Amino acid sequence: MRRFALPLAIVAVLALTLAAAAGCGSSSGGSSGGSSQPSAASTNHTPVTLTVWHPWTVSSEKKGFQRAVAGFHTQYPWITLHIVSFPDSTTFDQQVIKAVEAGGGPDVAITFSPDTVGQYAHDGLLVDLNPYLQRDHLSTGTFAPASLTYTQFEGKRVVLPVLTDAYGLYYNKDMFAKAGISGPPTTMSELMVDAKKLTVRNADGSIKIAGFVPPITQELDTPDLARAWGGQYFNAQGQPQLATDPAWAAALTWQKQLVDWYGYTNILKFSSTYTPQEWNASNSFETGKVAMVFDGEWRTAMIKDDDSKVNYGTAPFPVADTQPSLYGSGRVGGTVTGIPKTSKNPDDAWLLVKYMATDTNFLVALANGLGNVPTTTAAATSPDLTIMTPQFKTFVAVWNNPKSSYTPPITASGSGYASLLTTFDQKWVAGKVPNLQAGLTQVDQQITNQLSLGQAP
Amino acid sequence: MRRRSALRKYGVVLLLLSPWIIGFIVFTGGPMVVSFFWSFTHYDMASAPRWIGLENYKFMFGIGKINGVHRADPYFWQSVKNTLFIIVFGVPLRVLFGMLTAMLLTRPKRGVNTYRTLFFMPYMAPKVAAALVFVYLLNPTTGPINQLLNHIPGVTAPLWFYDPTWAKPALLIMGLWGIGDAVVIYLAGLLSVPRELYEAIAIEGANAWQRFRNVTLPLITPVIFFTIVMGVIDGFQYFDQAFVAGNVASGQTAVLGSPQNALLFYSIYLYQWAFRNFDMGYAAAMAWVLFAATMVATAMLLLTSRRWVHYGGGGNQ
Repeated sequence: MRRFALPLAIVAVLALTLAAAAGCGSSSGGSSGGSSQPSAASTNHTPVTLTVWHPWTVSSEKKGFQRAVAGFHTQYPWITLHIVSFPDSTTFDQQVIKAVEAGGGPDVAITFSPDTVGQYAHDGLLVDLNPYLQRDHLSTGTFAPASLTYTQFEGKRVVLPVLTDAYGLYYNKDMFAKAGISGPPTTMSELMVDAKKLTVRNADGSIKIAGFVPPITQELDTPDLARAWGGQYFNAQGQPQLATDPAWAAALTWQKQLVDWYGYTNILKFSSTYTPQEWNASNSFETGKVAMVFDGEWRTAMIKDDDSKVNYGTAPFPVADTQPSLYGSGRVGGTVTGIPKTSKNPDDAWLLVKYMATDTNFLVALANGLGNVPTTTAAATSPDLTIMTPQFKTFVAVWNNPKSSYTPPITASGSGYASLLTTFDQKWVAGKVPNLQAGLTQVDQQITNQLSLGQAP
Repeated sequence: MRRRSALRKYGVVLLLLSPWIIGFIVFTGGPMVVSFFWSFTHYDMASAPRWIGLENYKFMFGIGKINGVHRADPYFWQSVKNTLFIIVFGVPLRVLFGMLTAMLLTRPKRGVNTYRTLFFMPYMAPKVAAALVFVYLLNPTTGPINQLLNHIPGVTAPLWFYDPTWAKPALLIMGLWGIGDAVVIYLAGLLSVPRELYEAIAIEGANAWQRFRNVTLPLITPVIFFTIVMGVIDGFQYFDQAFVAGNVASGQTAVLGSPQNALLFYSIYLYQWAFRNFDMGYAAAMAWVLFAATMVATAMLLLTSRRWVHYGGGGNQ
């Protein structure tokens, strides 16, 4: 053993040195708090190249972005863009975080997921844009109020919106007419009645055509149902309140009633047929297998691209009978862009962020290519917006509704806590939760526990 | 002089070993040391790791308090149970089916290579692709397997990946489909049993079962032991198939382990803590518990192997 003592000691020392180096590298993150101050509007037009990272992976989307952003160089000829596309949008934010923590990363990052905005702000990974907004007199009213629910955290506005998703109800007009229903439901009671009326069963009781599939389908999350009753995840003190805010129990009870009416196994079988088809032309709504569906604005473009013959309308998602003032609002949130604290050219990077967030030509071109909702009023009312159909207008209105918001709420620990509720809901609709109130109390505790680990002394 | 000579000798050794040493430090040893440090910290990958002592481990096992209140991970033990299920049922099935298939493959006189290739081919399929295929095959309504089962009177076809009771058995079936590697190892083991031993026991009038029990089985125990150890280690790290099957079947990418956490295996839960909950410190602690559990399980297998694994010539080693 002794003869290997020296080599082993060297290996150990090297390993510890590496560990220490890694620790030191880590400690460099989050120190600045992203509080870099903008210089006065620069007249220095020294040629500069900005590195831009984005997660668009589909070829048409990548080209669409490059075409749309080409106008930036025309407007700011001394700035050249080096655009880098990442192959996997699901790990994009991890790549950004790792790169910025290591002192690198892009000058401008564009991300699909606002879920990491809390972490970006809390740890100061992205620059606070408020000073820039104030310097350039860019009003926060440029964007809908809902944008504030996912572009800022702890008082720091670290990203600006670049197009958004908005969610609402799609309904099949022909099926409504056949069933003698005059218009889309506006209340959850009406949604329940219409869902039952529009459902057609097979001889064995299984579902042939569903009026509305209530459990956890691809886009419909539990908070979307609770929103109809005004449900909020957290109270003013930041504590989860699923058990104490009656909206959650009301929403889950409504959901269970409809699931039981269909039969849980029937729902599972029906979902298993159509869940894998969500993103192709065999989509259940596009093929007339579902009369109503909760979905995002992108479905309008997909219906067109798929040559679906469905005769459809769109409307805001219904609200509880007791909450009529909420009608018109919904879940929103989408692509955002910000400046990593490691950017070597933050002032020029701001020009690009501002351009992407506010330039009407850019937003219209990108929206036409991607089928998402433009995030400024000027872009949303532009005559050049070819995707603006009567059905699409619903989603622009949802975006602009002051009661719309992003869910799940932003936290410094991301949105992982939301899966605790989804898992609970899976058990609830399956009939495995004997006491709803006790179950919700337990979920509250689980969320608190999970979030508290990050606050351990 | 002796000191200089020793240094020169170690220098040469180090120089020759340097590619491995550097590779080990950078890709294995270094990350292990770092992750061990992280396991005692709260580390969200963005700000500096913050030392919290044993809090991650206490939270994991539900034995600690945070800010004076008892806190416990809600699904840690669920992920342990799911993982043990795959190990307890998956490993014996893999041994049994691998060995039986290999025994069948020793029988054909013609086309033996074709059969061997056919049985090995599924193992070549990437786990992700295999999972996608099985989600399709086992779809409750459109999958060909349930369409067949529905024609059998009195049989209620399972909902497979949509039912928490059947989701793990569905993965076991998928695992059996891809046991080509075990089959090849068993085949090599079976073919290496000396023929004269069969001849000797045949002279004594042994039947097929006695031949298997007294000759074949003892001589392939090293192969059985190897497949058990590898199966247990793979079981602890079970990830790809369950991750893909759970996500694709449920249509959910935000929630891992669907349906109802039935497919929330240890590695998947670790991934969730690292990349969904942004708590790399806790994930590192989970990784070290996984490492320790794998080491203990392997050590126990090694200890028991002395009693039942026979190496060469029948002597225990």
